Amino acid sequence: MSMSKNILGDIKDDVVHGAKAPIRAAREVVETVRALRNGDVSYREVGLTAGATLGAVLLLVVLLFPLYYMINVALAAGTGAASLYQEGFFASPSEYNLGAFEWLVQDSGFFFDPYPGAAPTVGWWEGFMSSYLANSIQLVVPTVAFSMILIIPAAYAFSRREFQGRKPLLYGYVLLTQVGGGISIAALIAIYVVFNQLGLLNSYLAVAMLYAAGAIPFNTWLLKTFMDNIPESYEEAAIMDGASRWRVVWEIILPLAKPGLAVVFIFVFLAGWNEFILAQILLSADKHPLSVGLFSLIDEFSTPWGQFSAFALIYALPVATIYFFSQRYVESGLSFGGMEG
Amino acid sequence: MSFSSENADRSWVAQRLPSKEDQAGLLVLPGLLAYGIFMLYPIMYLVFLSFTNAGGAEDLIRGTYNFIALENYSRLIQDGQFWTSMGVTWLFVFVSVVLKILFSVSLALVFTHDRVRGKRYMRALAIIPLGLPPVFTITVWRQMFSPARFGIANEVYISIAGVLGRNPGPIGWFFDRWLAFMSYVVTELWLAYAFMLIIIVSALQDVSDELHDAAKVDGAGYLQRFIHVTLPAIKRPVWFASILTGATSFQQFLVPFIFNNGGPSRSNEFILLYGYREAFQSPPRMGIGAAIMVIALIFIGIFMWINVRKGQLAEGLSEQ
Repeated sequence: MSMSKNILGDIKDDVVHGAKAPIRAAREVVETVRALRNGDVSYREVGLTAGATLGAVLLLVVLLFPLYYMINVALAAGTGAASLYQEGFFASPSEYNLGAFEWLVQDSGFFFDPYPGAAPTVGWWEGFMSSYLANSIQLVVPTVAFSMILIIPAAYAFSRREFQGRKPLLYGYVLLTQVGGGISIAALIAIYVVFNQLGLLNSYLAVAMLYAAGAIPFNTWLLKTFMDNIPESYEEAAIMDGASRWRVVWEIILPLAKPGLAVVFIFVFLAGWNEFILAQILLSADKHPLSVGLFSLIDEFSTPWGQFSAFALIYALPVATIYFFSQRYVESGLSFGGMEG
Repeated sequence: MSFSSENADRSWVAQRLPSKEDQAGLLVLPGLLAYGIFMLYPIMYLVFLSFTNAGGAEDLIRGTYNFIALENYSRLIQDGQFWTSMGVTWLFVFVSVVLKILFSVSLALVFTHDRVRGKRYMRALAIIPLGLPPVFTITVWRQMFSPARFGIANEVYISIAGVLGRNPGPIGWFFDRWLAFMSYVVTELWLAYAFMLIIIVSALQDVSDELHDAAKVDGAGYLQRFIHVTLPAIKRPVWFASILTGATSFQQFLVPFIFNNGGPSRSNEFILLYGYREAFQSPPRMGIGAAIMVIALIFIGIFMWINVRKGQLAEGLSEQ
């Protein structure tokens, strides 16, 4: 589809632009040195700028300290620093090893469960199917599918059509966008009882539907605001040319709303991938996703921190990657929440 | 907007019945039904539960419970643990929101400052925490506050103490009430600053340069310009973000749950965790748990209402 190609193209532009940043920075340094020699700028000016930049970099280093500390610990599994037996934050690079990642692949249950259902030996496929990763995928895919199916038509209707009860409904959705997660935790007791009564416990589809339902108000509202920004003149022109309403939706609104669709996609993906409490209560242990798997690691005192870090990093990696490269979409999605009064 | 105008001369009744135009409402219906069934129905059920003396889920399935009206609520009011939870939750909201605002505004000022080169890339890196799963972040911070001598928090604490000429032993961060509380606040700060940063940065970028330049010409210093030019311009978005993040703090569940289950000895049990523990402990007390959650939901509702009202989101609605 051309839609996904465009988004990938934008991301590629961002990456290329970002990769060239050092070149631009080097050029700026050269220019500055030349200007200094010629006396075009004062040393004070340059010193202030360099100082401010250095300060900001230091601040950034402190902010992201937990992250690279984790990476270091994962790479230095089994060493004194990683096990908190030794002074100092970082293990020496000579001690780096991939032990934790080997454990992650073979024994952690992340990719493969070596003993599914306590069976002695199994093929890799059965091993994979009972892993945390497989459980997460089985939870996330229907979450995304249900959400998109429910959100896109509603957002379109709110943005472009008039119908009875549109305004009060929209007002209700706006109210509900203001707080998300807490409602489902507060309702957890009742959700558990209702799922229990309806026999929906341990069903991926039911939990996915629950996630999708929770994601509806915020994401519908978000996508609607994106669609509102598509000029109506495009549609009018297409209708003049004899296009049907559905064709207008398919060929004008949806393609032009693709940044909005991308943001919604990311948010509902995150909702499925990150959620922890509902999954822990509503699914049995053999169906727990990665988020619950990670939590169960910290209660086992036998799991060394290096292995815990490896598990945590690989769990967070896909999400952080997607998020990082789609920042411009996510930011435009979030700034709606702040600005547009 | 709509493309047709056929409702010009319809009778009063016909205007109030669903018409052909209202077919578009069918597009909204599936999502509404899903939300109703999976969210609103459980919430109504929760309210019902709060008026019963139900124990575990088995009680509800077998029907072995009684309607006891407001007894759960009156028992809660007399329960010291309820007031402890309420108090510590609100304290957490106030302390963390104030720190979040100060911290995020300072960060935003640094990462938008004229003299800082490459600030766009720094911002892109600075908001990475927003993209990390909360379970990840919170478990990592739990490990940072490890009571081990060479745990990160202890290493920092002991080296600072060393500079001051003292030589203390390691601290068990989660075994002291206020140290545990402080560790929650630090973690909450790290969880929330990225979101606040995005909102405040985009507000700062809207502050007009001319105003700043005019103030500079008038001889205003950095602090004066901040108070008289920047602050008024970012006040509304910051206020908006504060209410949102205050609501998030009020609903904080995972941090105390993962750190030390709201300990030591239930002193840091935030309101949602309190309700959760009552409902799922053994023996379970779903009725009381539901009453706690209903009270929490009322406060969450107040947050929602304030934000929509004061954030003037609803105004944008009536324009259309």
